[in-house]
Amino acid sequence: MKRPRVDPVLIALLLAAGLFALGSLLQPGFGSYDQAMNILRLAAFLGIVAAGQTLVIISGGEGIDLSVGAVVTLGAILVFRLGTGEAGGALLALAIALGVGLLIGAANGLGITLLKIPPLVMTLGMAGVVQGLILVVTRGELRGETPDLLAGLVSGSLAFGIPGVVLVWAALGLLMWLLLWRTPYGRQLFAVGANRTTARLSGVRVPAVVVATYALSGMLAALGGAILLGYTRQVFLNLGDPYTLPSVAAVVVGGTLLAGGVGSYAGTMAGALVLTLLTSLLTALDLPESARQIVYGLTLLALLSLYGRQRALRE
Amino acid sequence: MPGEVSLSARHLAKRYGGVVALADGNLEVSSGEVVALMGANGSGKSTLGKIITGAVVPDSGTLLLDGEEVRFSSPHAARRAGIAAVYQELSLIPDMTVAENVWLAHEPLSRGLVKRRERRERTARLLELFRGVVGPSLGPDALVSRLSPGERQIVEILKALSAEPRLMILDEATASLDGEQVARLFELVGGWKAQGRAVVFVSHRMEEIFRIADRAVVLRSGRTVGEAETSRTTEQELISLMIEGGVTKRHIEHPPGPAGGRKILLRAEDLRAPGVRGVSLELARGEILGLGGLQGQGQPELLRALFGALPRSGRLLLGGREVRLSHPRQAMREGMAFVPGDRGREGLLRVRSILENLMLPSWRRYGRLLDLKRARRDAERIAGELRIVMGSLDDPVDTLSGGNAQKVVLGKWLLRAPQILLLDDPTKGVDVGAKGELYAMLGDLRKEGVAILLYSSDDEELLGLCDRVLVMREGRVRRELKSPELTRSALVKASVGTEDGG
Amino acid sequence: MRAAQALPPRGRLREAALRQSYAFALVLLVAAAAANYALQPNFFNPAVLGGNLMTYLPLLLLAAGQTVVVIGGGIDLSLGAILSLSNVIIVSALGESPGAAQILLAVGAGLLAGALAGAVNGACVAYLRFQPIVTTFATSFVFSGLALYVMPSPGGSVPQGLLSAYGADPLGLPLVFWAAVLVLLAWGLLRSTRYGVYLYATGGDQLSAFVSGVPVSPVRLASYCIAGLMAALAGLAMALSTSTGDPLIGEPLTLSSIVAVVIGGTRLSGGQGGVFGTILGVVVLGLFQSIVSFMGVPSWWQTLINGLIVVVALAGPGLLGLLHRGRRP
Repeated sequence: MKRPRVDPVLIALLLAAGLFALGSLLQPGFGSYDQAMNILRLAAFLGIVAAGQTLVIISGGEGIDLSVGAVVTLGAILVFRLGTGEAGGALLALAIALGVGLLIGAANGLGITLLKIPPLVMTLGMAGVVQGLILVVTRGELRGETPDLLAGLVSGSLAFGIPGVVLVWAALGLLMWLLLWRTPYGRQLFAVGANRTTARLSGVRVPAVVVATYALSGMLAALGGAILLGYTRQVFLNLGDPYTLPSVAAVVVGGTLLAGGVGSYAGTMAGALVLTLLTSLLTALDLPESARQIVYGLTLLALLSLYGRQRALRE
Repeated sequence: MPGEVSLSARHLAKRYGGVVALADGNLEVSSGEVVALMGANGSGKSTLGKIITGAVVPDSGTLLLDGEEVRFSSPHAARRAGIAAVYQELSLIPDMTVAENVWLAHEPLSRGLVKRRERRERTARLLELFRGVVGPSLGPDALVSRLSPGERQIVEILKALSAEPRLMILDEATASLDGEQVARLFELVGGWKAQGRAVVFVSHRMEEIFRIADRAVVLRSGRTVGEAETSRTTEQELISLMIEGGVTKRHIEHPPGPAGGRKILLRAEDLRAPGVRGVSLELARGEILGLGGLQGQGQPELLRALFGALPRSGRLLLGGREVRLSHPRQAMREGMAFVPGDRGREGLLRVRSILENLMLPSWRRYGRLLDLKRARRDAERIAGELRIVMGSLDDPVDTLSGGNAQKVVLGKWLLRAPQILLLDDPTKGVDVGAKGELYAMLGDLRKEGVAILLYSSDDEELLGLCDRVLVMREGRVRRELKSPELTRSALVKASVGTEDGG
Repeated sequence: MRAAQALPPRGRLREAALRQSYAFALVLLVAAAAANYALQPNFFNPAVLGGNLMTYLPLLLLAAGQTVVVIGGGIDLSLGAILSLSNVIIVSALGESPGAAQILLAVGAGLLAGALAGAVNGACVAYLRFQPIVTTFATSFVFSGLALYVMPSPGGSVPQGLLSAYGADPLGLPLVFWAAVLVLLAWGLLRSTRYGVYLYATGGDQLSAFVSGVPVSPVRLASYCIAGLMAALAGLAMALSTSTGDPLIGEPLTLSSIVAVVIGGTRLSGGQGGVFGTILGVVVLGLFQSIVSFMGVPSWWQTLINGLIVVVALAGPGLLGLLHRGRRP
């Protein structure tokens, strides 16, 4: 397998820096501190949702989680509905949302390991079920309130004008780093993605790791939904949809191989930054929607040519 | 219909990295001849066969077909020149039918459309060749995925035949066939001879070679060392051509008997698994027990079944206590370790670092929040003991040479101080220097009382390391060899199957 | 039908039936049709049936194209975008009151766009060896963007003549039915060519196919081109169905096409299955949706039930495979 010779996280960060610089050249006001914070905030949402996606893709076996968008929405709605204004109620609502996300992810994992349903299809189907669950829970009516704790945490600026959500993202980054590099689970996850046979022959219980990974992905998506709620302070039925496929793109741009076994959350964070910058730049340049989409797609393709290629048959 | 054909292979050579697969391969064959290509494990006969059929490109040497030099870039190219091969690794598409597979890429066409009926009829006619020796389920429309290995092998033979080749190479093609099927195949070979085709028959089954071949060409250590007409030679002569004369060098000295008597650590009774058809054995403390025999006789499967990596039936007792091991993790907990044969695909995480590979079975010993400092210390210690030549522990493991990579695979298990060590061909693709180091290591482990069960495709190595050797054939133990019978000729004789009533 | 000759006749039939990849979809179809009939007695009335089936046509064409790609071992997430692209190209090119020549030109332009888009996908996957999922995701943005460029917001119109042709009932059967028949015939033809064999071989075991002399890369490229062409046809059907152009209309259909393919029994890993199963899958999806709406289930439960049905349908072939493997000695 061809691996990028230069650290892909570095490439992504350079790309992000380049895009930012380009933006400030082309558009006055783009390079301001406020704008940077705004972009960081937007990137944080994508980055948080992409955390679970990172784990799933590292686990290999064509791992992908297309249900994250729906779970994001569900998480947000659960907190919205169940949370009361006070802190205690908010935390309970959050716990419930995370628990539901965990169960949904575990269902994905079980379908994939026990029934051998390909991850693409399993998570796609589950997305439909979750969307149905959303309608049942809300009956089309979106009533509720955003717990103050959450809103304050997310939207408020805690220091130096840095939005709270960015700090939450940083904290998540730290936790993910610990999870991937400093726990047995994390090391086993890389092993499962790198070579399932070797992992099994070295004592790793592969199905358990896979189910746990998808469960975590569901939980993190629900967390993403709660945080998104703290920002938007309202919910709508496809709140999470714009995050599903971009979360995959962020992971890939960050250098995690789609085949699994190699990657990092730091890369995903950089990837989320790149994608958000790209979108913001294209919006700021006041390009029509059509041009924005074309450039976005072409950029992704260009990045893929760097590290998305597969082994030739002759080898 | 094939006309005259002659093939001449001269001084063909091929090496893979540091390992020489073929040093000087020579072979001549012409119309109406059946030439057997023989040799012990590692002699290069398979490589020679693959060069002739275009599956492998030689480093040097010439190949002459009908007097003209040729170089085949792919098996397809060789097929178009009239050379077809039948290997043991099949090239069939499982979800397609027999007819579709046999005629793949050369289907009969009419105005761009595949003539299905004709394809089926032609396939049926080819299948007629094997009528009576295959079950009724082998029809043109049978799905390949549902066929037995023997039937699939026959389909592969028909696939080669459908190209109407002038020269056929059968490389261990009889391995999955039963007696009757082999007999039929040989009848067909007789017919091909009469038609003027040429056949090269790569095998080590003596009885078959004497039945079917006109001449036998023997390879040893990558070179053609002799040739004889089968009508004018004996089995013993051929065997002595296949092995080097002289006494096998011992890699490890063994004391006359383990101190304190023999303590059985592992006992298997009537073990059955895919590829293992009822094996019973005992493994004692401080002993190196070898599994010998030809490749593909169930040795790797036996090791896996013992390690809990393959579903099995039969009894397994460790230290007198019966255990049911359904996952390698359980075997590990009982103090077992397994070094697999294909280290790239089963022993290593190629894209991960040396440290991660060494630690893979043992992460849980380093706490919930991994104590990486301690892990590194332990990893460095074992890397030093094994003398692994590497840059740093964080380098990806696929930067290491074969020998060093194999040390990593061994090292990850040695870190756990196993009591029972299972090894599946551990020195395949390892250079001489590292081999020596691995032998010494095994000797040390033996002294410490570790029970070792070792399969090697290198007969010399097996004889040089082991205290006893169980020779396997078709999933069963055929003979046990103990000193003074730990000789090359006894091993080859037991493997190659002319039993004296055995 | 492929029969194993070893079993007695009844066992043989059951064996063959189980082996057909679309067996499960067929069962679902019969169940769904029966349920629909129970809930809505005039279900089989040609006018009602035709109306229902007409809405399935774009998805049917799209899913047929997806099937070809999947059988070859790939997948295409940009088909919905290609549908939109050809949709807006055709509607834009039709203009106000087009004559016959202009109509042909417009349709031709749309189909060409589809084929070219498919070629781009195919080149990236087959020759540049990009991974199919993320690649076609990326190209879907490019094609969507192009669609938005051609027609920034929904509009345009389709001449009445074409619309009435679309709603016609030749020989008393809805046009959709004939379209499905045509698709099946075309598919049958494709399967009978050497290309058809190559496609299954490539998807079944790429390495073995390569070693046997199958030109794997051109085969994969062609599969994506065919899918692009089918998506373009779907775009045409959509234009005739909605009588306007819409640059975003294809979006939700991509994922539905994949679901239809899987329900129809074609495995995502490739090498088996067929368009017939996919057509069944499309119809099953549509029928289940109308069951749910007719059952008088409160609207907020409908999506959930649909979703659960999809998951059960997806699990079906896998479960069936498990059962089948368990039965074998």
